[in-house]
Amino acid sequence: MSPVPLKESRSLRWMVAILGLVLVLSVTQELARPETTDLISAGTAGSTLRRAVPILLAGLGGIWAERAGVVNIGLEGMMILGTWFGAWGALEFGPWWGIAIGIAGGAAGGLLHAVATVGFGVDHIISGVAINILAPGITRFLSREIFATQTGGGITQSPRVESVGHFDVPFVSGGQIFGWATPDIFGWIDDRGWFLVSDLFAIASGITSNISWATLLAIALVPGTVYVLWRTPFGLRVRSCGEHPVAADSLGVNVYRMKYAAVVISGGMAGFGGAFIAIEQTGIYREAQTQGRGFIGLATVIFGNWQPLGAFLGSILFGFADALQLRDRTAVHALLLLTGVAVGLIALRALKRSQPVGAGVLILVSALMLWWYSATDSVMGELPPVTPHIATLLVLVFASSRLRMPAADGMRYRKGQE
Amino acid sequence: MLPAPAVELTGITKRFPGVVANDDVHIRVAEGEIHAVVGENGAGKSTLMKILYGMLVPDEGQMTVDGDEVSFSSPGEAIDRGIGMVHQHFMLADNLTVLENVILGAEPVKRGAIDLEAARTSLEELGAAYGLDIHPDDMVETLEVGERQRVEIIKVLYRGAKILILDEPTAVLVPQEVEELFRNLRELKVQGHTIIFIDHKLTEVLEIADTITVLRAGRTVTTVDAGDVTAQELAELMIGGDLPSPSTATHQIDDHVTLSLAGVSVTDDDEREALSDIDLTLHRGEILGVAGVEGNGQGELIEAILGLRPTAGGSLTFNGEDISDWSVRRRRESGIGYVPEDRHRRGLLLDAPLWENAMLGHQTVEPFARGSLIDRSGARDATEAIVSQFDVRTPGIDTTARALSGGNQQKLVIGREIAADPLLLIAAHPTRGIDVGAQAAVWEELRRVRAEGLSLLLVSADLHELIGLADRLVVMLGGRIVAELDPAETTPRLLGSHMTGADATNGESSS
Repeated sequence: MSPVPLKESRSLRWMVAILGLVLVLSVTQELARPETTDLISAGTAGSTLRRAVPILLAGLGGIWAERAGVVNIGLEGMMILGTWFGAWGALEFGPWWGIAIGIAGGAAGGLLHAVATVGFGVDHIISGVAINILAPGITRFLSREIFATQTGGGITQSPRVESVGHFDVPFVSGGQIFGWATPDIFGWIDDRGWFLVSDLFAIASGITSNISWATLLAIALVPGTVYVLWRTPFGLRVRSCGEHPVAADSLGVNVYRMKYAAVVISGGMAGFGGAFIAIEQTGIYREAQTQGRGFIGLATVIFGNWQPLGAFLGSILFGFADALQLRDRTAVHALLLLTGVAVGLIALRALKRSQPVGAGVLILVSALMLWWYSATDSVMGELPPVTPHIATLLVLVFASSRLRMPAADGMRYRKGQE
Repeated sequence: MLPAPAVELTGITKRFPGVVANDDVHIRVAEGEIHAVVGENGAGKSTLMKILYGMLVPDEGQMTVDGDEVSFSSPGEAIDRGIGMVHQHFMLADNLTVLENVILGAEPVKRGAIDLEAARTSLEELGAAYGLDIHPDDMVETLEVGERQRVEIIKVLYRGAKILILDEPTAVLVPQEVEELFRNLRELKVQGHTIIFIDHKLTEVLEIADTITVLRAGRTVTTVDAGDVTAQELAELMIGGDLPSPSTATHQIDDHVTLSLAGVSVTDDDEREALSDIDLTLHRGEILGVAGVEGNGQGELIEAILGLRPTAGGSLTFNGEDISDWSVRRRRESGIGYVPEDRHRRGLLLDAPLWENAMLGHQTVEPFARGSLIDRSGARDATEAIVSQFDVRTPGIDTTARALSGGNQQKLVIGREIAADPLLLIAAHPTRGIDVGAQAAVWEELRRVRAEGLSLLLVSADLHELIGLADRLVVMLGGRIVAELDPAETTPRLLGSHMTGADATNGESSS
């Protein structure tokens, strides 16, 4: 098999998969009308992307650390550092500096983790948990010292901060070029209300209008990470440290240095995620505003099989659940229908692959979801906020069988040991 | 004047806490020769080679390479001087491709990225030049052992090494792969490379080496020409005493059937048939040898008997009872002992003390347990007894298993199983990777318990061991028993041809 047709067929498969997903969404949307119209819309798409970015960044951070063989459960703490330093930087020097200083804050957390795990051989989980406990303490202390004295600030929050710029993509979503407003083609098709076609363009419209430059930067980090880790000598060396550090050492690779670099980059990514939450999502630093997204990011690492693109898809999924519960609580009720349909489809696939037991369980789950949907008009108030977490759990349950983690992930490495 | 030696080590001494690994070692390796370094495990061979390769720094002594005095503080410096090492435990990352493993640390770069085309070309050129068949884009995890070794050798050559150190390269290979390796090494020698070859299989050493240096207890004993010594003499130099042999005295096997398998089939993890329709009987006081190239169902056979893997068909009878549905625990408690193939992964908890290790598999029975609790003092006493009876050389029973040499670890595992007084002992490669002295002790112990009426199922890749110890031999190929042989009338050559499925007349064997 030559590489070209393989590549073609792979991108073809991707397009078919995405189209199928939109089709399922469209059908569910039609079924759920008029209860909700937010299951698939430009607003939901845009919100999904914004919600996904911090999770994506935490996920990329997780990939960097784990590819180098260090489990980074401290992502949450590094993200918290990112929120505080991001907000502080944005207040002092402006939003772009806020992003940069947020990254530096997260990277400092990463450095601490690297010193503990790589330098002193502390168990990765223990060090990570310590950072998760330490970070809120540090930020509370800093808030009391700095934000509490400012107008609008307090010991748990900062004054409001300005966000970095937004833009609409010209010609497709009505962006401006030198003051001339280009036509909003995607929006126009969206408004026609054609089944499936309008839905596709609604999504396209949602992710091309009112885009933050920071979102663009975050998404660029997906191919960026792929390129650096898989195409450069540095990336190969980092990955070799996560697979077989003794082999890397025997070839003259400085394992400690690679691990330090990877974990600091990991912290920087998480810090960016935190700064994004403070500066872009909420426009304010508020204590505990990361809401466990660092952990969800870690889950996308596993969901995505330690691949950046996989983590990206995972973050979109969680972003979607998150966006839906924020925008429209009734949409979460429709989500039951969606889950029922999706699980039903997975069950059919399992049946085709002659896995009767798995298929049986899935059909049961699917039936349960559909029954729940039809027997009720709304879901209890506690359900919407935890939807992203339930989605995380469900996905991990279904995805965990075919995963392959770096071989030396989480292991202590000492130079000279066998 | 003679040309400068490729490598000369003079007065090398290396101390570790509590032990002198190398004590005033002298070795002189001429350019373009295959120089073997032999010695028992713990004689200091690996330490010496790690010093030469820059992984360890010697406390005393000088090294010269091509006549220049050198001192290495990292493998990178040794690589720069043209020294490369093929490690005993392969230094390959399973989840990376062959290409990535080879170029790691010495990547060709074009505009900041790895130049994959250039790397692939130079790999293919190297493969062609030395007759080493490799595929750059294969994942290492999909490769056979012999292929992995070729990747290791390519890795070293890619870095431009003229001096190759091979640490026990044949330990993991089957006879046919050993022949392939030796062909490759001779080819390298012809092209002007110097090879330092560490081993303790003496027939192999005599076949491949030009010069042999013997180490014992960290000191150089002597250096001899391969043509001037016999295996017998070499072994005596290595252990400083008489050579043990695996042959057994004649004795009585009785009619009592300990274990019988009737039509046993097993499927592997991919649902393929790994064992088909196996019939076996094992009598009291009998050693049944199982020969075969690795991966032909021996592992599945053992797992089926122990109950680690469910059978797809057939029945297992142990001591007159059908045990097909019994749990592993019940089988073990009824008298099946097990010496696993990989003592590090399956036999021991490396970071646990010896007394805990001695308890594994017997933690529910006396003297290790009282009721449902562990009996610490009973366990410690029992461990002391195993350590002294089986001559496990250790500072104490609180030492971790990791600190012991391979031979002593194996003696502990075998002692643990034998001390539980089983009716049937399954031993997989019981002397793999251990030195001649420990090997003799293991053989002696197996013979002793057999004389007491124990049945032994011996799976081994060491054909001399199989022929010497077994009362009866079966050969496995593709999950079936393809031959049953009388060891008294079998040669390694004949056995080898049955193992590969070749016609007996075409069988080729190195020994």
